[in-house]
Amino acid sequence: MMQRRYRSILDLKINESAKALAFSDAELACKLTSMGVLPGAVVELVRLSPFGHAYYIKVDGIRFALRQEEASSILLEI
Amino acid sequence: MMDVDARILKIALIGNPNSGKSTVFNQLTGLRQKTGNFPGITVDLKEGSMRFSDGREAMLIDFPGTYSLYPTSSDEKLVSTVLANPADKFFPDAIVYVADVTNLEKHLLLLTQLLDLGMPIMMALNMSDTAASMGIKINASKIAEALDIPVVLVSGRRGDNISKLKQDIEKLAKNTDFKPRRPVYKMSALEKQVTEAVCLNLNVENPYRALQLAHHHKWFPFLHPNEKAVLATIVQTKDFQSLRAQVDETLDRFDRFTPIVQDTIQKPPTFPNTPTDRIDAVLTHKFAGPLIFFAVMMLVFQAIFDWSVYPMDWIESGFSGLSEMLQNNLPAHWTTELLTDGIIAGLSGIMIFVPQIALLFLLITILEEVGYMARVVFLFDKTMRRFGMNGRSVVALIGGSACAVPAIMSSRTIGNWNERLITVMVTPFISCSARIPVYLVLIGLAVPKVKVFGFLGAQSLVFAAMYALGVVAALLSGWAMKRWLHTRERSFLAIELPVYRMPFWKNVWLTVWEKVSAFAIGAGKVILLVSIALWALARFGPGDAIATARAEASIKADSMQLGPVGTEDFIKQSELEASWAGQMGKTIEPAIRPLGYDWKIGIALLTSFAAREVFTGTLAVLYNMGSAEGDINDRSENEAKTTLREKMKRETFLDTGQPVYSLATALSLLVFFALAMQCMSTLAVVRRETGGWKWPAFQFVFMTGLAYLYAWLVYVAFSSPLPPS
Repeated sequence: MMQRRYRSILDLKINESAKALAFSDAELACKLTSMGVLPGAVVELVRLSPFGHAYYIKVDGIRFALRQEEASSILLEI
Repeated sequence: MMDVDARILKIALIGNPNSGKSTVFNQLTGLRQKTGNFPGITVDLKEGSMRFSDGREAMLIDFPGTYSLYPTSSDEKLVSTVLANPADKFFPDAIVYVADVTNLEKHLLLLTQLLDLGMPIMMALNMSDTAASMGIKINASKIAEALDIPVVLVSGRRGDNISKLKQDIEKLAKNTDFKPRRPVYKMSALEKQVTEAVCLNLNVENPYRALQLAHHHKWFPFLHPNEKAVLATIVQTKDFQSLRAQVDETLDRFDRFTPIVQDTIQKPPTFPNTPTDRIDAVLTHKFAGPLIFFAVMMLVFQAIFDWSVYPMDWIESGFSGLSEMLQNNLPAHWTTELLTDGIIAGLSGIMIFVPQIALLFLLITILEEVGYMARVVFLFDKTMRRFGMNGRSVVALIGGSACAVPAIMSSRTIGNWNERLITVMVTPFISCSARIPVYLVLIGLAVPKVKVFGFLGAQSLVFAAMYALGVVAALLSGWAMKRWLHTRERSFLAIELPVYRMPFWKNVWLTVWEKVSAFAIGAGKVILLVSIALWALARFGPGDAIATARAEASIKADSMQLGPVGTEDFIKQSELEASWAGQMGKTIEPAIRPLGYDWKIGIALLTSFAAREVFTGTLAVLYNMGSAEGDINDRSENEAKTTLREKMKRETFLDTGQPVYSLATALSLLVFFALAMQCMSTLAVVRRETGGWKWPAFQFVFMTGLAYLYAWLVYVAFSSPLPPS
């Protein structure tokens, strides 16, 4: 249905950024919004952890580390 | 009615992680602080005292850093719990909110939640120095006006405006006619219905506090079961979706305060490649990152072993000098023995660890202060999850190499209960500094001083192997526990990677001071008591057993023609055998004989269950009790140690005449000490963190059983088959 209207951090290339639109998971949304990762913010993928699975991102200039599952819950503008 | 002024005012320091809250706390209180150990609360809060201009003291409470009143870890849950319960003994009279002014747009969420709780509050805008250097312009009075609270621009690191902050805190705390202001957040129609019902049924005045009760009724520990039932019914009948409401509220709050920040703070355009980005390109690099981490760890351990030798030697020789002086100047009486062999020996056993613990915490605190630990969490999250833990567990495991007690407490930042539990359970496997002296004595005894491959000392290799054994045991146990404990609870990584900063040395010193004094006083009490008890058990025996043993031994010694020193030794040995300690050792000998231990090791093992480091002290007491005093005291420290080793080497089993300290026995003991749970302080802290005796009991049985099994295997593997008799 609406599947292709979003992508996630997993789809970003290193150093690519995109605008966050929404979250796909309520619990993660609660955690991430309280840390300041908000819809409308620009999310940049900086690098992956040594074994993949963890994502180093920048949101409005602030750095975060997220797990794959957490990173995939942020829905980004295509 | 009690005079309000006579009461001690409680002031809470609250803020997000990385807001520099601890720096402000340390500036306000200095050394007048302690980590409270509060029964009934599973989290330690730091409290400090602050003196007002009229001489009155106020208590400043440093709460753990948190982003929101909607928590995901037990650290964060504490803040919500205390603030939702006016009957809590830490419920503050006023709040000082600390925010990082360089990131204010992210730091106001929690402030607006606190505002809605209707408590007296003010804000310290921290890091004014960094803001100035970044060219950020701040209109503090406009922020104060917009939020309708007192605001002070401070620099915790440079101490700027701290005295102004103190004055404002005093004014805030003493203001008796405080009127709650209009709430920041406008509740939805559903939230209004829910809070009205809660206010009515539970007699709550503040609507936002009522909303908190509705959100958190399942886990708030202070709620009565009846209250929980009432709240559950309200939430159910109104179909109140907690998570959904939390997100909506958070977004609404951001919408309300973001314009205020944009209005009052001017930031120059940011440059893409800051120093933090350049450092992280290396430190969090796919390949270089882990390599650098292991290099850093090697450096840390190198520092601990090489550098702390000198102060340890000074402390040791200082205490033995004191002991010698007392022996020479006090009358020969059992009270003198109690002083020198019991109390001073015990004190020296505690103080000897202080350099290592201080150095280890110094280095770990520096790594934490500069912001490196958050990167370690990022690097190893996936690896640790394989073993049932979390990236944050690495911090606890590293701390475990100093002392498991504070390391276990640092696991509170882990939100998932199972991951936290596994971290708590396996951290004591990591070789702590208390095991070092045991390793040193046993390795010196069993492993020859030869070089492997021409440059690596065999002794250092075995030493490193003991550490590796601890790490492997911790990881494999974690892996096994993960299989066993199934959970559906969510686990989070989501962590902020702070900007790299130079360590703020006042924070570093205060942390090291706090950890060291906690060890010296907390663990020290136990060690001292054990040494005194041990001395008494070895000095006295049932009835006149000792006198009888002495009489018999002196007759035997005459017939054996041992000479004066030998006779004295033999008599003391026999007395020791007859003492209470000797009896106890003999009783447990059958149980430990399969591992290759005799009754003397048995006594040492029993005493080391109070604290590992007691082991070498016990052996020293047991083997030294026989020697003529001048024999040891005339020699240098190293020679005295050699004497202990020589004596241990000469020991034989009473029945078979085989030497006690064969390679097999020494290796078996090493393995036992690496794996066994022998620390009362650790068990006590595990009980506190897990809320009962179940987990510490399991940990004790599991670790000690594992230690027994592997020690036995090692003994069997290394002992040569007995010659036919």
